[in-house]
Amino acid sequence: MDFNLMVEVTPLLIEAAWVTIDVSARSMFFGFFVACGLVFLQSFRFAPIRWFARGYISVVRGTPYFVQLLLVFYGGPSIGVRLDPITCGVFVGAFNIGAYMSEAIRGSIESVDSGQTEAARSVGFGKVQTMVSIVLPQAAPLMIRSVGVLAIVLVKNSSLVSIISVVELTYQAQRLIGSTYKPLEIFTLSALMYIVIVYAVMGIIELAYRRATRYTTQ
Amino acid sequence: MEFDFGPVITYFPTLLKGLGVGSLVAVAVAFLSVVGGLVVAVISIYINKVVSWPLRFFIWLFMTTPLLLQLYFLYFGLGEWILIPAILVGILGLGFHYMAYNADIFIATIKSVSGGQYEASRSIGFGHVATIFYIIVPQAFIRAIPQLGNNMILMVKDTSVLSAIGVAELVHASQYAISVTFRPFEFFIVIALLYYVINIFMELGQAWLERQTAYRR
Repeated sequence: MDFNLMVEVTPLLIEAAWVTIDVSARSMFFGFFVACGLVFLQSFRFAPIRWFARGYISVVRGTPYFVQLLLVFYGGPSIGVRLDPITCGVFVGAFNIGAYMSEAIRGSIESVDSGQTEAARSVGFGKVQTMVSIVLPQAAPLMIRSVGVLAIVLVKNSSLVSIISVVELTYQAQRLIGSTYKPLEIFTLSALMYIVIVYAVMGIIELAYRRATRYTTQ
Repeated sequence: MEFDFGPVITYFPTLLKGLGVGSLVAVAVAFLSVVGGLVVAVISIYINKVVSWPLRFFIWLFMTTPLLLQLYFLYFGLGEWILIPAILVGILGLGFHYMAYNADIFIATIKSVSGGQYEASRSIGFGHVATIFYIIVPQAFIRAIPQLGNNMILMVKDTSVLSAIGVAELVHASQYAISVTFRPFEFFIVIALLYYVINIFMELGQAWLERQTAYRR
């Protein structure tokens, strides 16, 4: 182990780690809206809208994220979509994770017993009110867990945006391995940074989970 | 913006060759990751802490870091000492990655097989090792099938990442054709479509396998 080298490259890797965090956080933020939109579209009475949402989810989940990135970044210009690498990474990430997240959200909403909805409706709650104050609070714990798993997947998937030349952690690590010929040192440091990010995300999920379950008795 | 799928048809044999390489890698990785995952799980549960601790560390490390980083490490790291072809690095890298995920599943399912099975088996005369291999592992394996199926579907999609270290699979096969024809959109659409079709067949296969083994679970 060459510790001098490790100290030397740490600032570069930390800088790159921020890009990883930035891309993942923004993808997660926009992805959440994509997911809510998809869940909403699936509740439509008009079938073709539901089919569109189902089809979108199926196609996005059935094709590799890697190919989606390449398609939008390199193929986008020929249909008039020109994005800089980071924006492209954020949006492809958002539209990809949104499809997975909509399934997680829908699953957790459906896990709430339908008797809850019926009871709320029969005592005079409106549709929106039933959803907001009866169903969602009960769906929240499961939703937080399953969306949390996706947030971790998203952080690890963000390494793939290095392929469209976003200088994030994996890109920087690969470049440093190439220039220093010290794969073990660089890998140890960059793996450590991913681990720190993943554990921070897990901590946030745990806090949110405790908050969502603070009134439930175990 | 007009589309021309002519070049894709011209270069379709190249894509098919890439698809062949990708399938070969996927089959090898599936075998390596399932068998390896089972071995890692059995060792880390039944053999003493000295052996099992490094294995659990390995599982943890591979599950918390991204695949691409692991591939770069193996590709450049192994390249330091020996020259091995990219396809082998790809099989090993993807194999180790999913081996960790599969081992995690097997550990859970082995633990879920009730202790009564072990005791019953011992009391009718099976030894410790025989009990593990003839009684515990088969039950654990069948219980793991739904999650293994999910992992293998994810794994097939992840073979596309191997193009980053130069494995000549589908995405990599299209690179040359794209650089000659300047039709990235058409090529990537077709590639995505091919992956989608494979994915649909795998999901059907998984559903069939689950139905076949459901009565044993």
